[in-house]
Amino acid sequence: MSDQRKPMISHLYALHSRRVSRIILPVWRASALAVVISVPAAEAPIESEPLLKPTTGMEISDSDRQFWSFQPVISHALPAVQNREWAKAPIDSFVLERLENHSINPAPPASRQDLVRRLFFDLTGLPPDPEEIRRFISDPSPLAYEQLVDRLLNSPHYGERQAQHWLDVVRYAETEGFEYDRDLPDGWRFRDYVINAFNRDLPYDEFIRQQLAGDEIDPSDPELLIATGFHRLGAVRRNAGNQEVSSSRNEVLTERTDIVGAAFLGLTIGCARCHDHKFDPIPQKDYYAIQAFLAATHENDVVLGDPDQSQQWTNRTAQINREIRTLQRTLQRSGDEAKEQIRAQIAAAENSLPPPPPMIATITNMEPTEIHVLKRGNWDSKGERVAPRGLDVLLPTGASSLPPDTQNRRIALAEWLTEANHPLTARVMVNRIWSSHFGTGIVKTANDFGKNGDRPSHPELLDYLAGEFVRNGWRAKPIHRMILVSNTYRQSAFSPETAAAEKIDPENRLLWRFNRRRLEAEEIRDAMLAVSGRLNPSAGGRSVMIPVDPELVNQLYKPSQWTVSNREEELCRRSIYLIAKRNLRLPFMEVFDQPASQISCAGRQSSTHAPQALELLNGRTANELAHAFADRIRREAGPEPNEQIDYAYRLATGRYPTGAEKTLALAFLASQPLKELALALFNLNAFLYVN
Amino acid sequence: MSTSDPAHPSHSQLLDSSRHFRLLRTRREFIGNAFCGFGSLALASLLREQRACADALNPLSAKLSHQPPKATSVIFLFMAGGPSHIETFDPKPLLNNLNGQTRPSEFGEAKYQFIKPDAKLLGTKRTFQKYGQSGIEVSDLFPHVGQCIDDIAVIRSCYGDMVVHSAAQYELFSGRIIPGFPSMGSWITYGLGSESESLPAYVVMPDPDGALEAGQPMYANGFLPASYQPTMFRPGNKPVLNLDLPAGISLAQRRKTIDLIRNLNEAVLDADDPELNARINTYDLAFKMQTEAPSVFDLSSEPQETLDLYGAGSEPTQDYGRRCLLARRLVEKGVRFVCVVSGGGPGNKQWDAHDNIEENHLRMASETDKPIAGLLKDLKRRGLLDSTLVVWGGEFGRSPEAQTGKGRDHHNLGFTMWMAGGGIRGGQVVGATDDIGLRATIEPYHFRDLHTTILHQMGLDQDLLNYPHLGRNERLTLIQGNLIRQII
Repeated sequence: MSDQRKPMISHLYALHSRRVSRIILPVWRASALAVVISVPAAEAPIESEPLLKPTTGMEISDSDRQFWSFQPVISHALPAVQNREWAKAPIDSFVLERLENHSINPAPPASRQDLVRRLFFDLTGLPPDPEEIRRFISDPSPLAYEQLVDRLLNSPHYGERQAQHWLDVVRYAETEGFEYDRDLPDGWRFRDYVINAFNRDLPYDEFIRQQLAGDEIDPSDPELLIATGFHRLGAVRRNAGNQEVSSSRNEVLTERTDIVGAAFLGLTIGCARCHDHKFDPIPQKDYYAIQAFLAATHENDVVLGDPDQSQQWTNRTAQINREIRTLQRTLQRSGDEAKEQIRAQIAAAENSLPPPPPMIATITNMEPTEIHVLKRGNWDSKGERVAPRGLDVLLPTGASSLPPDTQNRRIALAEWLTEANHPLTARVMVNRIWSSHFGTGIVKTANDFGKNGDRPSHPELLDYLAGEFVRNGWRAKPIHRMILVSNTYRQSAFSPETAAAEKIDPENRLLWRFNRRRLEAEEIRDAMLAVSGRLNPSAGGRSVMIPVDPELVNQLYKPSQWTVSNREEELCRRSIYLIAKRNLRLPFMEVFDQPASQISCAGRQSSTHAPQALELLNGRTANELAHAFADRIRREAGPEPNEQIDYAYRLATGRYPTGAEKTLALAFLASQPLKELALALFNLNAFLYVN
Repeated sequence: MSTSDPAHPSHSQLLDSSRHFRLLRTRREFIGNAFCGFGSLALASLLREQRACADALNPLSAKLSHQPPKATSVIFLFMAGGPSHIETFDPKPLLNNLNGQTRPSEFGEAKYQFIKPDAKLLGTKRTFQKYGQSGIEVSDLFPHVGQCIDDIAVIRSCYGDMVVHSAAQYELFSGRIIPGFPSMGSWITYGLGSESESLPAYVVMPDPDGALEAGQPMYANGFLPASYQPTMFRPGNKPVLNLDLPAGISLAQRRKTIDLIRNLNEAVLDADDPELNARINTYDLAFKMQTEAPSVFDLSSEPQETLDLYGAGSEPTQDYGRRCLLARRLVEKGVRFVCVVSGGGPGNKQWDAHDNIEENHLRMASETDKPIAGLLKDLKRRGLLDSTLVVWGGEFGRSPEAQTGKGRDHHNLGFTMWMAGGGIRGGQVVGATDDIGLRATIEPYHFRDLHTTILHQMGLDQDLLNYPHLGRNERLTLIQGNLIRQII
């Protein structure tokens, strides 16, 4: 169980040190240039253009190819275990084998009460209501649990919860960040696309194809164009003046390349942008070969709806923009007195821009950028020109590149990633699914399956799940179900053998109990809304801006970008429908570790610090909802403190209060308002954690 | 089981190292450091033995540094928009002689955001005067700061990679030209925690005039846990949002609710549970902040003489003066990193003098000169300057060439920043730009070198202060930074 990460790590940065001499590597072998990946049938015959001498010299060795995650997924025989009764599903056998090897017993099954709350949060991100819990606990059917699993997998809230994990990975935001933090036109459509994809269990290989190449598959299908908005999700620097076009283009392509590596391959290919990868067999050239798949991608904002209206909008916008540019030129030439006035005119012109019609932020293929290996990653130090090609270490020896003039390169990229025997794609995704239930993956570093990443705690189990995933048509729901009905998942978060087990496995990598977890930022707010009866469960559509401290808004480049919804019920939508604005993060979400949506987030932090307590004690959201919660308690439980406390506990924690809790709460209510009890419940560990 | 924990590897190693020091070391601090060193799980057994030290479970508790620290706090006086080196700390007589001419070719090429290669050089109207025993020249924009020059190390050879605000601001704060990486304030807080339990560890006081181009992501914790995020202060007497009680709730009432939360939590708590114990503990810390912090924010207890020193009672220095004074009060209480921003909103409300360098810089300097000097003097007379590293500068300097006749464009190839206090040897000039202030030619120092030096003064090592993220152990500097040895 030793941690695979190298213990100490200043040398990780050796390459970035100007004091360390560069390592001399052997020259790239010629055979690597001859090569193939699968291409759609309609394509022109492949003929690689002669390529210049490579600038990098890393050679892929057989032992590189032997690394576990580059090896094909194999199906392993189920291990023999002693406690056959416990190991009822294949998952359990794999887990139990390792536990038995360490003489650790699995924890007893979780109580039904804990299980139902756990299941609801894991699958939907919302708490079960008391009636739901009562019904499940008293259901005599031996299949009650399985039926609940199936029902929740089919709940529309399932997609909302699962989408959040994916949106974290692809660093989803609806604005472009940097100086202007401009809106991505109707960026929320991508969020709805992801939610729907999970709800209808879109096969993952199709999910990849649509995100990478929807426009190439069918440019007339709006759904596919929205999916391909994937390539628009990164932050974009838009600055006026003497910008180097090639430099900006390079920044955009870098963003688009790195995310493909992190999200689909689970590899840190971005590390090979400036030099051969320090840990993994990824030559710098391979990085640019992946980038070459994206060389033709250019922004495309597709206007939806009535063509006449959209034409009007286009004309009017262009006209005003021309006026603005003229004014800006005048501004440069004019004296101080005139400047003020001209600036006001510019501002007025900007404000007169007509609101945009419905749009899709997507991409389209245009003249491909020539992709070269860039020395030290500098856009103006061009080395060898490269053609689209998968990672060498994953390709058969002698596979050749796509010709540089290949059309529909991204379909080719998607085809390569979704080949049934691709060693990484399925493993990486089932690991994300596993991680969503156990808080940590079989591979802890979910975006890094490379040498510097974590080694799988249960390699055979990972392969088993990956194999089942592909066999089931790349559908996620069957994998969720397999996990959820296992005894491994149904363990209690508390083991009577904790002391002994922690000595052997303090991190619980062997899964001798369930991992308790703190609710994530969105779950906390959503649960407060649900518990207080204020949740507006409607799905989809334009994102909502809620009131935040005006001083925060003042720190926006354009404070007018923050327009709070004027419909009260909109303010109570689920958190996934709140706007994801790069330059104004919601303090409530930020304090509870919502990722910053600037770079891919493979797994959330769970920190514990005083500003969280201040947010839940004094924050606007907590106090407004505590009032609503108190009203609901009075309304539904009546005036008796006894009943009120029972009901409040059932709503907030999914259980009745213990005797001690009851006594404390009764004593409190004797002198303090019910709203403060409601607020206290939002602050309890029993509310904030899932067992 | 290896004790190496990817969550905090450098500190874990430090526990076994004899190379770390701290001025004060109490048993509790040691435990606090141990927690952060091993990570919560590996440390569980140690914690069980040390249940009495549950309060050390605060992730912001003070931690040992990697080496003996020179400074324990940083105040960064961020001159947003890019102050001109030519008008402030880097006199260039030749530039006045060449006024109106194009740049002689021997000075080489430069790429600006707006002005074209045929732009004409612009002399300065500023006059320079020698100050202090060191005789370092400072322009008439900073007569008060000039009086402190013997405490200041002027670095005239700074450079960065980007010539546009947003990317340059990210690089200044996080060492990266893109958003998403932790700022130096977050890194330092992560490395050292806070000496104060009742105040936020890392504070940013933005200019009330408005936003900067890089926006809030520039100050943020990036991928570090949220405990290391900045607290953005609001203008006025109630700078921290959630320290205010909700309407109609008294402090006594809030105390009762907090007691109830503790009692209810403890009623069902497994005593061996460090994480839940830590969460319970945060409520007491929160209450402590609520009761103790407001008095720190209240400047009315300061004597008139001190207010005057900072120009905190009169225009145009009122706002920046008050914020500088508040910065002193914060570091006095152990706050680790304070950023006091000058400039915000539209470009001309920053140091971003595209149109008229005279008007802009005279105004911006008049708002900040006295407050900055007041801060340095006040820190010094209180004996705090030794332990407080004060850093002054913007995301770049300004072009030797004119923009629209009287303004200057952005310029990243050579500009001035300065440091004082915190073990910095003042009264000296480091490096130089060429004779027109175009390019840092002698001992050029990149932002990463400034970062390395700032960390070093805080007792932190750029390599050991790292955090695993997406397959790499990230640190503040992207490329290895060099110490500016001459000033330490």
